[in-house]
Amino acid sequence: MPETSARAEYVEELDRLEQSALDGLDLVNAALTRTLEAIEHQDIELAQLVVADDDRIDGRYLEVHQSLITLLATQSPVATDLRLIASLLHVLKNIERMGDQCVNICKVIPLSGNEPPADEEMVKRILTMGRQTRTLISQAKRSFLERDVEQARDLVRQDDVVDNLNRECFYLALAIGDDADRREWAMTMLLTARAIERIADNAVDIGEQVAFVVTGLFREFEDASHPA
Amino acid sequence: MEEKKVSATVGSSEKKEGGTEHGSESLAQTAHASHLAHEAQMGSSGATTTAPSTGRAKTIEARDVNLFYGDFHAVENVSLTIKPNKVTALIGSSGCGKTTFLRSLNRMHELTPGARVEGSITLDGEDMYAGGVDPVRVRRLVGMVFQQPNPFPTMSIYDNVASGLNLNAGKIKKSQKDEVVERSLRGSNLWEEVKDRLDKPGLGLSGGQQQRLCIARAIAIEPEVLLMDEPCSALDPVATLAIEDLIGELKSRYTIVIVTHNMQQAARASDLTAFFNLEESGKPGRLVEVGETETIFTNPTEKATEDYVSGRFG
Repeated sequence: MPETSARAEYVEELDRLEQSALDGLDLVNAALTRTLEAIEHQDIELAQLVVADDDRIDGRYLEVHQSLITLLATQSPVATDLRLIASLLHVLKNIERMGDQCVNICKVIPLSGNEPPADEEMVKRILTMGRQTRTLISQAKRSFLERDVEQARDLVRQDDVVDNLNRECFYLALAIGDDADRREWAMTMLLTARAIERIADNAVDIGEQVAFVVTGLFREFEDASHPA
Repeated sequence: MEEKKVSATVGSSEKKEGGTEHGSESLAQTAHASHLAHEAQMGSSGATTTAPSTGRAKTIEARDVNLFYGDFHAVENVSLTIKPNKVTALIGSSGCGKTTFLRSLNRMHELTPGARVEGSITLDGEDMYAGGVDPVRVRRLVGMVFQQPNPFPTMSIYDNVASGLNLNAGKIKKSQKDEVVERSLRGSNLWEEVKDRLDKPGLGLSGGQQQRLCIARAIAIEPEVLLMDEPCSALDPVATLAIEDLIGELKSRYTIVIVTHNMQQAARASDLTAFFNLEESGKPGRLVEVGETETIFTNPTEKATEDYVSGRFG
């Protein structure tokens, strides 16, 4: 017996919404790439572009969210479909937060003005964090699409790199010295590092959703309040 | 019409256990009398309310059950434990054998000419199909509510509820009968709606009320188990909700098995869900998976179950 056409449409719609939600991660990656470039070159105009462009990520969030609610209301999804929809709602929120963190960074970039960076080492680490986080975002998307729990779990390991760099930035900031301008710069850069670190954490959260879709069990890969 | 044939293999393995024969005796005779004594006591002490007597509900244990209509093998090797004070939903597409299986749980399957049962079905350890067990007794302990509400058309509301009592108890006092009728109608959440017109025909009620009348009729004789064969499929959503609420209340007193095509109803109203299907058309129905309803609808083990509950029929 072939699937009834209405049900087939529902299955197609769910596939489409998954793709559309996860493509939001490409938007985040594009925003993060620009953000890193803006940091590297202290490019205020590029930073403003990232702020303005965040509407696209928010728009994607609202649009897919609404369509998923409609599916819930009209199709009574259960089992894997239900878990997929629940996790996509979660992932959409992650994506929206990641976009917002890029905006947070881009809003503080003007502070550093056109002065040369006070500490090249710190900038270097932040750019490395950003590149590593882009890798995490791509891997989160791929592991979701491929329902690959091992790949999702590996995000924790990748995230450790980001966390360590963030800590190094903290010590570099402490050692920046007494000059008021340099300290302000270092504080701004710490906020930037922290924002990138949060983006990477959101990528790990998406990995946890992959495990939920596949196994039906939700468990945090790592619990900050109860470290292993 | 050909007489029913009940296979002699039923419960043969169970016989080795010491308690079985003893048990089937009680299924065969004692329960009837003790129930009436119980009834009389209830009456004389004035306990006419719906006070639930919890813990009475019984377990049905089906082991390697095979069901046949003549040469047609309808249900194959079903083993299923139906737990007391729980609602067990049987789901699966038409022709998968779930209704046939349901009808074997109170020996109604054998009423079809040529129908046969193999395997063992016990009620709290007592073999339902043992020789000497009166099928009428089994059906008294295991009541059935059907898809289409079927009140006796010529009877009043009162007589519909009291009908089982008249058949089972012979002469009983009018006052005692009044009490059972009221308790049963209260038990099926119908009392308030009909108490002023008990002498009116049962057929004058709405579909949902008629179904609750049939449930009152079923519980009037104090069964241990209630079987329901798509009890809401002929009802509107409001009446359906009333029946589902009622099922939720009744499970404190009875073991309930419900066959439903409405997946959301199984999800809403049952504690355990058993999924039946056919491997392919022409093959007998079989039990694919049974589990907590929540698990079946969020994370079933079998792909066939997943596809069915998700509406992916292929």
